[in-house]
Amino acid sequence: MPKLPEKKVGIVACSGEEMAEGTVTRLAALKVLEEMRPNDTVTICLPLFLAGGEGDRAFARFYPTIAVDGCELRCAARATEEHSGKPAASIVVSELVSERGLKQPQGRRQLDKAGQQAVSITAQQIAGTVDLLLDRRWSRREGEFADGAIDLTVQQPKVAACSCGSGIPVQQVAVNGEIVTLIALPAIFEQFQQAGKEPCSAIAQELLDQVQIYNPVPAGQEREYQAALLREYETFYAEENGR
Amino acid sequence: MKDNRYEQEKKVVIVPCSGIGKTYGTVSREAAYEVVEDLRPQSSQLVALSLLVLGDEAARAAVAANPAVTIDGCKLACATKMVQESGGTVARDFAVLDVYREHRKLRPRGIAELNEGGQALAHVLAEEVAAVVDATPHQNGPVEAEEESNA
Repeated sequence: MPKLPEKKVGIVACSGEEMAEGTVTRLAALKVLEEMRPNDTVTICLPLFLAGGEGDRAFARFYPTIAVDGCELRCAARATEEHSGKPAASIVVSELVSERGLKQPQGRRQLDKAGQQAVSITAQQIAGTVDLLLDRRWSRREGEFADGAIDLTVQQPKVAACSCGSGIPVQQVAVNGEIVTLIALPAIFEQFQQAGKEPCSAIAQELLDQVQIYNPVPAGQEREYQAALLREYETFYAEENGR
Repeated sequence: MKDNRYEQEKKVVIVPCSGIGKTYGTVSREAAYEVVEDLRPQSSQLVALSLLVLGDEAARAAVAANPAVTIDGCKLACATKMVQESGGTVARDFAVLDVYREHRKLRPRGIAELNEGGQALAHVLAEEVAAVVDATPHQNGPVEAEEESNA
């Protein structure tokens, strides 16, 4: 198995700077990421789904993701679904505050007491949802929960919480003249190279098997994918060994 | 129904970074709040980045109709890119790191809460943004600048 970040839950906060509830989402997410579930969570800035690269856009497909929004506009949930993948769960601060009968938070720059209380209950809600999601099986190929377990070899990421700029390792490959983006391919190549596997037709199926863990391969196109993967791996192998 | 979330008179739009993983994002927001709440409340207004990502019509219209000052927390420059993608004109793009390089004594620490260095850096940055607001053609700029110079 390629060494990829272990199964974690993604948190995407709206961070809406215009309103107190947006500040609540940011501080609640931070509390979970840094204090409550630091080893189980990772985040990415919402704008990177547009301003970033393919690796950033793969975020919600790669991680089961909780969208945390300040208001009913649900920018984080809707934008995540539109530009990355459907969030596994959605939390809206204004709804949570109403449900609990709390006062509306005030002070986007410096939260008042009600705002701090909202941070606390929102963080608890996020952490509880993280625990629930970690118990479920997530398919990185489909970007949704699956029945089959995916047994990833785990590796702690170099950066604990923030995924901005790092993204998920992806690579674009031409298959039958069409460019496809394959999640995890750089990590798969690295693992094969480190295992001393030379690029030859004997490993083509093995490469495809690994790629299919994270990416859908259309039925009937397996041979074309094998050829493309082997070609790309030859290039990778030559570059690495030439260093 | 008309969306009145943003003021109709021409104001400079301030768009800070929305990052939560680094202290520079917090500095960008603190500077933005200082400009729109304390330094230039009459001639500037805040637009949230998340609304631009969503493609919210009112936010896009506000950005498209007014000059914008962006404040980015890292080199990925999300605020600047999103304003440009939303059809806006960036009057000036600030990067917190650049401002820090010019004021290395003001070392920011903390994300949820900035240390003294971070607060001071945000203030320096806010002053620079306010100067750009004054120099950018918009409805209330000269008046506010004049009032301040006469005070």
